[in-house]
Amino acid sequence: MTRLASLPGIAPLMACAALLAVWELAARAIGIDGLPPASQALAQVPVILGDPEALLNIADSLRRMATGFALALCVAIPIGLTMGRSRQVAAFFNPLLMVIYPVPKAALMPIIMLWLGIGDASKTLVIFLGVSLPIVYHSYQGSRAVEEKILWSAAAMGMGPSARLARIVLPAALPEILVGCRTGLVLALITMVTSEMIARQTGIGNILFNSLDMAQYDTVYAMIVIIGVLGYTLDVAFEGLRSRLVGWAAPAHDIVAGTT
Amino acid sequence: MTGRATPLADVLVGLVPIALIVGLWQLLASTGVAPPSLLPAPGAVFARLVEQLGSPTYLQHTATTLFRLFAGFGIAMVIGVTLGVAAMGLRAVEAGLMPLVRVLAPVPKIALYPAFILTLGFENASKIALVVADAAFPILLATYQGASAVEPKLAWAAQAVGVSRLRCLFTVVLPAALPSVLTGCRIALVISCIVVFLAEMITSTDGLGHLLVRAARSFQTVDMFVPLITISLLGLGLNAGFNALRRRLLIGFPEEK
Repeated sequence: MTRLASLPGIAPLMACAALLAVWELAARAIGIDGLPPASQALAQVPVILGDPEALLNIADSLRRMATGFALALCVAIPIGLTMGRSRQVAAFFNPLLMVIYPVPKAALMPIIMLWLGIGDASKTLVIFLGVSLPIVYHSYQGSRAVEEKILWSAAAMGMGPSARLARIVLPAALPEILVGCRTGLVLALITMVTSEMIARQTGIGNILFNSLDMAQYDTVYAMIVIIGVLGYTLDVAFEGLRSRLVGWAAPAHDIVAGTT
Repeated sequence: MTGRATPLADVLVGLVPIALIVGLWQLLASTGVAPPSLLPAPGAVFARLVEQLGSPTYLQHTATTLFRLFAGFGIAMVIGVTLGVAAMGLRAVEAGLMPLVRVLAPVPKIALYPAFILTLGFENASKIALVVADAAFPILLATYQGASAVEPKLAWAAQAVGVSRLRCLFTVVLPAALPSVLTGCRIALVISCIVVFLAEMITSTDGLGHLLVRAARSFQTVDMFVPLITISLLGLGLNAGFNALRRRLLIGFPEEK
């Protein structure tokens, strides 16, 4: 059942079709300008994807997202792994992470904009902050669960501490790290859209809200569909990558809930 | 995280990075590297926070935010728990619901906000709807996963003595899945906090998020920090409060790993 649903197979397609049908019917029944029928909104999708300026905006967004995500990987995984292996490091970082956890990262946008300007730097930084936390947390959990005996054997065979971290802890914790990365990927998309909604200049969030302001409701809904498809596709693609990399580990959860 | 008390030394070590950050902040502000218009001194921010927490207007905005938060969280809890348990117990619901959840869970819900504005208006309803959309999924998934892990013998025993399937779901399976359900709710509570604030920042005329945006437009840097700190403290407080509640409710449950 759940295996079927986790594949990009028939069940998700039917779910999408059902959603679109409900939307279409609801729009026709309610009949307000603010809710155009699905068919009308979907007709706008090829128009947006054919517009070079819109594509440039989307590419801008994706570039920022990729940069923020890559930076977070480089910083968060080493921190998480060391936290899991050393109680002192864990005690050092844990309270800080706990305090940062409930801060709405995208809400830092106006403050960071004062320092770094409205451009790429501040948005990338916000995405980086948003993505780092789940990756640190899951790397920490993964590295904590590594079998001690393997590490002792490696140490006995003369492997240094940093080599042990890179060659034993990292691969052993990889399934858990990838769970964190998957949450992080969804979060990166959320933070990206939110930061662009708050600081409108370029990007997907900007198109969305500009068309809302200009009462181009079909475009608004078409953009929502595009963002939704993007989120789902990224998640499915990442799940594919995950099962190729760590097919030996049991999948933790089929579904990841996007959090802010 | 773990039940055992953390040694005092660990607590002190944990305070170091926080002290370092505040210290660096103070240093940047007092040496004049960062002008107060860009980075006000921590003392000034906390003084303003205390002042604002005594002001009725500020508390009014906080109350508005809290109302939206709890309304959204409450609805999400009812929807999430009901659907989660139903998906566990009834094959038809599971077959219909889980693919839908699979598709919708990784979608950034904040992107739906314009649609909520257009259909529900600028007032409370659209913000509450956004909170529901964001908070319902973690609760639903936690309930579903928790209920799936419940020992089936418990349910069989109840059904053997004549309890109906539906009643069994809510009187046997749901209580047995309570630890997982409450964990989902705690995560959703912090998410609600964040989402309501972001929604208020994007379009609103009241609430804490609006106060931040208003301060940003007039370059009142100190006033930008205050709502952000307030919502973070609210999130921390709600998280801690919910944890305490969870521990009380779970007295007698086997210790979690």
